[in-house]
Amino acid sequence: MKLSRLFILAVIFVMILSACGPAAEAPEAEEPVGVDPTEICENDDFGCAVIAPGQTIKIGMGSPMTGGNAAFGIDAEQAGMIAVADAGEHEGFQFELIAEDDGGTPEGGAAVANKFAADPTVVGVAGHLFSGATFAAMPIYEELGIPMLSPSATNPDLTRQGSRVFNRVPFTDEAQGQAAAEYMFNDLGFRKVAFLHDGQDYGKGLAEIAAATFESLGGEVVELMGITPGEADYSPVLSTIAAQSPDALYFGGYTQEGVVLTNNMPTSGMEYVVFFGCDGTFGVDYLARTGANGEGTYHATPRTPPETPEKDGFDAAYQERWGQAPGELSPFSWNSYDTTTMLIKMVKEVSFVGTDGSLYIPRGALVDAVRNLTSYVGISGTYTCFPDGDCNIEGPTFWIVENGDFVAVN
Amino acid sequence: MDANQSSPPKLTRRNYSKIIRPIFGILVLGYILWRLYLVLIVEQAYSAEVWVRLLISGLIIGGVYALIAIGYTLVYGILFMINFAHGEVMMIGTFAGYFLFEITKGINVAGAGNPPLSFSDAYPFLSVILAFLVGMTVSATAGYFLEKIAYRPLRGAPRLIPLISAIGASFFLQNAAQLLFSPQVRDYANPQAIARGSGWNLMINESRIVITYTGVLTFVLSILLMIGLYVMVQKTKLGKAMRAVASDKKTAALMGIDVDAIISRTFIISGALAGAAGVMWGLHNGLVHFYVGFLPGIKAFTAAVLGGIGNIPGAMLGGMFLGLVESLGPTALGISFQLKDVIAFLIMIVILVFRPSGLLGEVLSEEKV
Repeated sequence: MKLSRLFILAVIFVMILSACGPAAEAPEAEEPVGVDPTEICENDDFGCAVIAPGQTIKIGMGSPMTGGNAAFGIDAEQAGMIAVADAGEHEGFQFELIAEDDGGTPEGGAAVANKFAADPTVVGVAGHLFSGATFAAMPIYEELGIPMLSPSATNPDLTRQGSRVFNRVPFTDEAQGQAAAEYMFNDLGFRKVAFLHDGQDYGKGLAEIAAATFESLGGEVVELMGITPGEADYSPVLSTIAAQSPDALYFGGYTQEGVVLTNNMPTSGMEYVVFFGCDGTFGVDYLARTGANGEGTYHATPRTPPETPEKDGFDAAYQERWGQAPGELSPFSWNSYDTTTMLIKMVKEVSFVGTDGSLYIPRGALVDAVRNLTSYVGISGTYTCFPDGDCNIEGPTFWIVENGDFVAVN
Repeated sequence: MDANQSSPPKLTRRNYSKIIRPIFGILVLGYILWRLYLVLIVEQAYSAEVWVRLLISGLIIGGVYALIAIGYTLVYGILFMINFAHGEVMMIGTFAGYFLFEITKGINVAGAGNPPLSFSDAYPFLSVILAFLVGMTVSATAGYFLEKIAYRPLRGAPRLIPLISAIGASFFLQNAAQLLFSPQVRDYANPQAIARGSGWNLMINESRIVITYTGVLTFVLSILLMIGLYVMVQKTKLGKAMRAVASDKKTAALMGIDVDAIISRTFIISGALAGAAGVMWGLHNGLVHFYVGFLPGIKAFTAAVLGGIGNIPGAMLGGMFLGLVESLGPTALGISFQLKDVIAFLIMIVILVFRPSGLLGEVLSEEKV
């Protein structure tokens, strides 16, 4: 018994040694070409990621790929794959996108982050997509110096944590909530509005900001309430709100619940109440599943990308590879492409080939390079990152559904 | 275990819990009554039409819960195990109905109208019956094979083992459905005549209340199925055999009852009811995805416990009760809808404090427990 345990211990020890061996010895190996990585890597705050020949440079992505919000994750992965294909080779090394399913939840976010943290060839993360998952994942990347560049996590608190690694490109919930409240009060003339949210980081933050702004403008907030996400019938909560006859129902949350709410409204005494959604409810999925009930509802998106040759090229590549147009599954296709491409560009800038033929990526330098990004032209527009990690803080575009299609209103 | 319980320290602890439980129950009950008094008598914030709407949605969801809860209760009554994959059996039925409507939507009936009507629009009644038949058959088959594959090999094993097998089967079915049908959420293509949201209008206080066709169908059909099941269990030979197996397997076998066949049939019946619940769910709520059975499954299990697990009228009562509490509770108590489940479970705890074996449950003998 004891002997076998000792034997197993010895085997494990040998395995650990052999696993650590190449990485530890690699810098010492003498090769005629390349830069000596020892000094650069020792001076870097987080050390270097070493990509041996034959390995790929991995960009992680954490997003919900199953469940009711799977469309967001699948879209981000598809856009990211195009970005990786466009990136081509770098010094003979290929890039690879590793998209993992975090379910959009904090538990899932932490699990995916730990998985990426365990893989030394993951150098950056183009995510996570949802605010809740991002909150949980941030501290894990922070420790290892893996830069994050989220295409869609919009909770305002994310960039107030003083994180060195977290950056994002969408406008914040604060900007969207304020803009939505102002738009409802000033342009649509609503005076009584009920605010619902799904109780999660993103939706709750958004609805609370919108409600506070609406109240400060002089409007009446008849209700500010959370609902249980994932249900198939919200008529009880809608019937209760209908008793206060609001002009509009503002919802902070995602398509899944937005669709059910919209479809339940006509039978809950809310047939004359306007549904006002957010960027989480925008998408063809919403149109297809609400049909006539969706007419006249409002939604928001990040700024629509201007029509440029680069955007057309991406649109064509996406259509050809996945058989559907970008923006159909979620409004974040272009942002996802941009964030992945930006990370790849930064990796290309800071990395160098070591004397042993491996590719060295100083993690600290990469983190700083992403944070100091200035005037990067992507397909969604021009990005400049601010010291807190917000890279693009322009307000949203609002859309109304007319004849089964989204029409921009501002 | 039992021998130790007669020692003095155990006894005092038992007495302690005997006092603390009713106190807790009375406190919660007092809080609920106080909130009810505030909302219903002091504030009077809601007029009749709100309560009618809440009542309607509570009855509809209650009927679905009750049908699924019967499946839990039937299986528990016979095997003394919780079939945690029952929600997934319902999900399979929902998908079967979904595909049937997709097919009947695609068949054009020649010569009927211009543009030609699809089969499901031309014969809504027939296609709904077909959908229920297909959904119930597929779910019954799923229940049958579930028992054959996941539970029968474990017949003699300790009770925890089939429970774990049930959880495993639940995960397996969920993930299989996700791989087969993709994680995408789809919508039921209802026949035009019973489109979701259409129904009879009822005016109360100059406010329109829609009594949806799908809601009425769900409620009436679930009541009919429950009556049918009750009659079957009480009056037919099969029902008699089921009751015999439930009360004592060994003696039933000695009396010439094929216990394994009866257990198989129990799974078929509970599967068929879950399939009907699944098609109703799809017709009324419209959502189909691989996860659709999980929440109703958990709620129905709660309903079965609430009514007294193993007791068929108890499961029906528990399902209706849970549906009504979920729908009326938050408004009646003036609590946020986010706490809907908290309220439902709180009320369940209060009931179980005063009646530990559920609303209609009998005190189980040592052997059954």
